Amino acid sequence: MTKPAVDLLQGTLDLLILKTLSWGPAHGYAVARWIHQLTGAVLQVGEGSLYPALHRLEERGWIVAEWRLTEHNRRAKFYTLTPKGRQQLGAETDTWLQFVDAVGRVLGATEQPA
Amino acid sequence: MSATGGRLRRILCGRVRDEVDDELAFHLDLRTRDHLAAGLSPAAARAAAERDFGDVLAVRAACITIDERRQRREERVEYMGDLWQDLRFAARSLRKSAGFALTAIVCIALGVCVTTTIYAAVDAILLRPLPYRDADRLVAVYAQNAPHGYHGSNISYPDYVAWRDGVRSLEALGIWTWTSHALSGAGGEAERVEGAAVAASLFPLLGVRPARGRAFVTAEERPGADREVLLGDALWRRRYGADPAIVGRTITIDASPYVVVGIMPPGFAFPERGQLWVPFATDPAKEAHGNRGYAGAIGRLGPGFTLDRAKADLATVSARLEREFPRDNAGWAAEAMPLRDDLVGDLRRPLLVFFGAVGLVLLIACANVANLMLARGAARQRELAVRAAIGAAAGRLARQILTESLLLALGGGVLGAALSVGGVVALRRAFPDDVPFFDALGIGGAAVGFAVLVSLAAGALFGAVPARRAARVNLNASLRDGTRGAGDGVERSRLRAGLVVAEVALSLVLMVGAGLLVRSYRAIESTDLGFAERGALTMRVSLPEAKYAAPARRQAFLDALLARTAAMPGVTAVGSAQGIPFSGWNVQADYEIEGQPPRRPGDEFVSHFQWVTPGFFAAMGVPLRRGRALTAADRDTAAYVGVVNETFARRAFPGQDPLGRRVRSGKWSPWVTIVGVVGDYRHYRLPQPMGPALYLPFAAEPPHSQTLVARTSLADPLALAPAVHAAVRALDPEVPVYQVQTLEQQVSRSLWRPRLQGQVLAVFAALALLLAVVGIYGVISYAVAQRTRELGLRLALGATRAQVLGLVLGQGGRLALGGVVVGLIGAVALSRMLASLLYGVTALDPLTFGVVPVLLGAVAMLASLGPARRATKVDPIVAMRAD
Repeated sequence: MTKPAVDLLQGTLDLLILKTLSWGPAHGYAVARWIHQLTGAVLQVGEGSLYPALHRLEERGWIVAEWRLTEHNRRAKFYTLTPKGRQQLGAETDTWLQFVDAVGRVLGATEQPA
Repeated sequence: MSATGGRLRRILCGRVRDEVDDELAFHLDLRTRDHLAAGLSPAAARAAAERDFGDVLAVRAACITIDERRQRREERVEYMGDLWQDLRFAARSLRKSAGFALTAIVCIALGVCVTTTIYAAVDAILLRPLPYRDADRLVAVYAQNAPHGYHGSNISYPDYVAWRDGVRSLEALGIWTWTSHALSGAGGEAERVEGAAVAASLFPLLGVRPARGRAFVTAEERPGADREVLLGDALWRRRYGADPAIVGRTITIDASPYVVVGIMPPGFAFPERGQLWVPFATDPAKEAHGNRGYAGAIGRLGPGFTLDRAKADLATVSARLEREFPRDNAGWAAEAMPLRDDLVGDLRRPLLVFFGAVGLVLLIACANVANLMLARGAARQRELAVRAAIGAAAGRLARQILTESLLLALGGGVLGAALSVGGVVALRRAFPDDVPFFDALGIGGAAVGFAVLVSLAAGALFGAVPARRAARVNLNASLRDGTRGAGDGVERSRLRAGLVVAEVALSLVLMVGAGLLVRSYRAIESTDLGFAERGALTMRVSLPEAKYAAPARRQAFLDALLARTAAMPGVTAVGSAQGIPFSGWNVQADYEIEGQPPRRPGDEFVSHFQWVTPGFFAAMGVPLRRGRALTAADRDTAAYVGVVNETFARRAFPGQDPLGRRVRSGKWSPWVTIVGVVGDYRHYRLPQPMGPALYLPFAAEPPHSQTLVARTSLADPLALAPAVHAAVRALDPEVPVYQVQTLEQQVSRSLWRPRLQGQVLAVFAALALLLAVVGIYGVISYAVAQRTRELGLRLALGATRAQVLGLVLGQGGRLALGGVVVGLIGAVALSRMLASLLYGVTALDPLTFGVVPVLLGAVAMLASLGPARRATKVDPIVAMRAD
């Protein structure tokens, strides 16, 4: 894979993580599962690449981590969206939608512009 | 501290790794469980989970990198936060005890101020490189005559040539001699400008090139080709308005035309403050080996040669000259030294003494502040214990104390550096104009950096002990034990007592040093000079050679000037001499005494001599002891007469009548008949011993330069100056008047060094005494506060107030006594270093060593008297009930 594609994927992955965490605190495995379920087979993401992304988001202060017990009484690292992360999610969602809209308009165009 | 930090980091980094491993293991376990649930075998399920995950090791490494980076950043932020918190806390707690903080800051400021001031002088005079190329390769060369005890003497031209051409280890050598010229014509009134006649090689070997025009060339080093001049930048700007067109033009020097060939760069002066240079022109054929009339030479060591090698080479050449010219060169050799040593001269030792002294003052200041901090630490013991109990780490508490010390130190440092600007101004005022590098004396970057370093070091020094104690705070003892008395350990009291003893000892050393130097200055100052220094105006006039070549003209000019001056209201006597006392004029010659066998080389009768007018001795207030004074009629070199001083008479004619005897300064000189004896007076600078002197009548061979002495009844002799100046101008506007001052000023100026030494050390000693008093007062006050219960108990049990007073005074007395004993040992050891600066007192001067300890002891008792009286006012009831 060439580098620009990775970068694009990276930004997209961050956006997806923030979105899944907007529903509430979750550990890495849950985030991976949700993304897998929601995207089906369309986005083939190595589950491992999720973790550096999570740690980087934590470093930026968009999410915070905390060790808690799961319902099965296992110790797991739970991530929670911070207010700053929520703001970021909103901004990136807007950008993403504008991007999709713009690309869609080009691809849906029926005639060549003057 | 750093070891702790490292351990901490290892622990934290280990935690990062463990957490990443736990997190990834959790993921893989859950995924494996899902695959198991889907029916895979355990091994296959695990493999599938790892396949889904991707490169586990790479992910692990990436996560660890990110987390460690975050960790480091957080630590840094936390550290800065702690520091900020420490600073704010320190500032708050210092504000709460403003008296303590102020005392500490003032103590440090005093220490830093004196240290920085002296450092500025040391830097300007001893450390900063000379403004020449590779200045450490430059060597000053003079003549010396060890058998006669002459050092740094003038050199002769033939010797110079022999050294220049015969010493291979010097790649260049240039002769120079002082000159002083009358500058007249364009640019203002006639004035006297100091400068030098220099060999063409001198400025190039210093590495200094003219900023405009050209340097001298070797062809100009002969009479007739030497009417050329280089001007100093300052002179060029002042007199000629920085006019570049002056180069190539002719100006009037000593009433003769000189062509300006160049302007030297800004800041260049030679020698000392000289601003005008002419070629060193001489006719080698006319120069005798014995004519040591030129100031000296400067050389540059050749590549790879050492000063010792150059000295050895010079000695070889000098030994050859001694063999070839025994009559003129017996005993004479070259004397070489680094140029800086020559310029700094005997200033090095006083400066180092000052530097050592300020070091002591600073130590005393530090001991004082450490003492204050210890007392404060004792008072805060419970506060610290409470903070430790609620979770403050010991290291954190120590850091808190250290932060406080450094804050105090920096506060003191800033105040001290500010004060040192004033200190430098005061120091500059104490130096006369002609001290080398004096211009460069100021508070620059180096001095400020030094002040900061010193204050930080001081802060660390006086903060270290209390900080270490805070780190070892004993929780149980301090919290359980509510009493104030028991909280303060024996160790702490002993430490504080030790600090006070050290302070008193250091102060004593300083006071003894100051006492010795002040006594030296007094001894010099009260030396009977042999003339009346008050009530006389002096000024120097020089008659330009070109215009006053005829002796009769010089005679006529001076006669007219003396007559006009004598007629001025308030003038009681007037005369002139070639050089007045303490002006540096000290020409000497070997004398042959008629009727005595010629003296062996090395044992000549050497006497100072000069030409004076008949009125000179009356104007100086020097009494005639025997025979007659010089008169206006003594103008014949065929019947040459002279008067001698008492030392001359005594040494040349022991037990005989000097009157009518004849002396001469060489086979070709005329015999001089002694007609009178005048009182001895100090001629050269003190503390030089009195020497023989011969005074010849001005009219016999009128010199070009004379210093006028006018004795006056006016309260301020300087009030006479404008009138005399006007008289000179009226006689000839081309004759400059300079060195206008009272005789008293001249004497006082020449005593600047012993005065400075005494003053500076006296200031330091006063500071030290003040600091020691503060220290003793603090310790005794604190001890009284600590012992309130005990003293109350004693009073309750029937002790009298006098007994309590004695108890407390005894404590102060013991500290002072300890300090005095230790200090006396130190002072005896250190005063030897001062020996070379002393005059009229020995290094173990009984008066100084007797008075200083008594004074210090008395002051120490006085300092403990306040707290002691407070102790007698303790109310037994209140004291027992306290706590």
